[in-house]
Amino acid sequence: MNETAAASASASADDVTEEDVSVVVGEGVRRSYGDVVALDGVDVVVEPGEVFGLIGPNGAGKTTLVRALTGTTDAEGTIRVFGSPPDAVDPQRIGLLPQSFDPPERLTARELVGYYGGLYEDARDPEAVLGDVGMTDDADAWYETLSGGQKRRTCVATAIVNDPDLLFLDEPTTGIDPAGRRSIHRLIERLAADGTTVFLTSHAMDEVERLADRVALLRDGAVVAVGAPADLIAEHGGDPRLEVELGGSKPDDADLDGVRGALAGIEAEATADCPAVESTADGLRVLGVRPEGIGAVVDALGSAGVEFESLTWAEPSLEDVYLRLTGEEYSPRAGGTALGDSEEGEGR
Amino acid sequence: MSRLSRVLTEATAAARSFLRRRTAVFFTFFFPVILVVIFGALVRTQPTGGGLFAEPAGYYIPGYLAVVVLFTPLSRVGSEIARHRDGGRFEKLATTPLSRAEWLFAHTLVNVAIIGAASLLILGLVLAVTDATLVVSPALAALPAFVALAVALFCGLGAVLGALADSQDGVIAASNTVALPLLFLSETFVPPALLPDWFLPAVAASPLTYFARGTRAIVHEPGAWVGDLAVLAALAAGFLALGAYAVPRTD
Repeated sequence: MNETAAASASASADDVTEEDVSVVVGEGVRRSYGDVVALDGVDVVVEPGEVFGLIGPNGAGKTTLVRALTGTTDAEGTIRVFGSPPDAVDPQRIGLLPQSFDPPERLTARELVGYYGGLYEDARDPEAVLGDVGMTDDADAWYETLSGGQKRRTCVATAIVNDPDLLFLDEPTTGIDPAGRRSIHRLIERLAADGTTVFLTSHAMDEVERLADRVALLRDGAVVAVGAPADLIAEHGGDPRLEVELGGSKPDDADLDGVRGALAGIEAEATADCPAVESTADGLRVLGVRPEGIGAVVDALGSAGVEFESLTWAEPSLEDVYLRLTGEEYSPRAGGTALGDSEEGEGR
Repeated sequence: MSRLSRVLTEATAAARSFLRRRTAVFFTFFFPVILVVIFGALVRTQPTGGGLFAEPAGYYIPGYLAVVVLFTPLSRVGSEIARHRDGGRFEKLATTPLSRAEWLFAHTLVNVAIIGAASLLILGLVLAVTDATLVVSPALAALPAFVALAVALFCGLGAVLGALADSQDGVIAASNTVALPLLFLSETFVPPALLPDWFLPAVAASPLTYFARGTRAIVHEPGAWVGDLAVLAALAAGFLALGAYAVPRTD
């Protein structure tokens, strides 16, 4: 864990004056499989009603952390769920969608929801649950005959059939088409609005950015950053950027010098700072451009005699945070030509 | 939701899953039928001769029943555990009120029902295609208890094998390795007189021996069977407890 993340995570834990007010508290959670350390002293706090996102590369320890918090794997450290050890929590209050979950394949979706609901003291009407995940029309098909997305939605239904107070969803939208994903997103938003605490792991950064109140980024079994998506993006997301797709051949050195010179005249307020320019496979990337500065960049390109086919502006996202903090960031500078001040660009 | 309701819910799901696997259902009943046809009708017994199958046909009724009460629970429960583990179902069930003991008990109930039906089929087939006769007495009412307890016992053992083996293939191999020696060395098809004296303690240590002795005392050679039933019940309780402990809860 880096200093920033450590401070943030510790602050989250220290801010909780009474452990039992937090739905989930994990301190120094550690889990090893032989010589492989899956979790290396993870601190995590989830507050009531919060949608807590957990992101990280494959093998970072996300599923192991979910298992540790649900008591389905043994872990060192302190874990409290509703103030109790995970295996002492009333199961009525917990819902779990494991990452790798394959329920009895020759039961229908309706039977599966009824089956898992039948294991609880108090369960929701299976028909209502099937409706929540958009499976009403296919409820009588055997699980094995459903599409991947329908299967996953059925599995989500089995996780919410007991109307849990705390819902663990380990990659709930894997394999689900965009419409199905949206229905799951709406479901999660509705559950959160009704007071359900949701612990969500996902590789879909847009999903986490949209749904999560706070996000923790796990890398190599340790939390490297935690906070609200907007805060993480502001701190780690980097600059907004303008992708310039050029027509025809790539600009030569003279063209690039012209662009650099023209960009030097851009008003500072139109950009985050003095803009940096990179060459890309399709053209140019201008970093640090605010929306109101796009026109100035267009003018600069025109004055330099550079013709372009399209412009795409993008602000930093959680995906940029993820790529930067996991060290998986694609860096065109390594193979491209930096036209601006590269050190300033890096520093922003 | 009461414990009974949870068990019935699990048992209902397990029964539906099994009954919808037509090949599994077919071979569950077909396998013992083949044995009866081969050894009971084709090879036939030779009471006046020596070697294997030299006893009267009725002597082998417990053996035919033992085939289903031994093989089916071992392989079914073991495979079910492997299937559950591979599919993350135990991880899911660990967060529900269903306990490991309830899970095993539910699957034992399903096996008792399936194997009870298969036993009835075998008994009828043996009587129909061999020279065997059934001793009809009030003790016959205890025969279902023997079958149920033996099934429960081997469900417990199957759970242990399923927990120890790391794959469905491993479960099948382990089940066969355990079941074949038990089947032939438990006073089922091979009379103790054909075995060396030093091996007889091993025969006495086999749980299946008490099933064979007890059922034989009921259906073929009237005699004392309560003691065998008591031993079988104690062993069944022990193996079920062991199996429930072995059923995976965590990864």
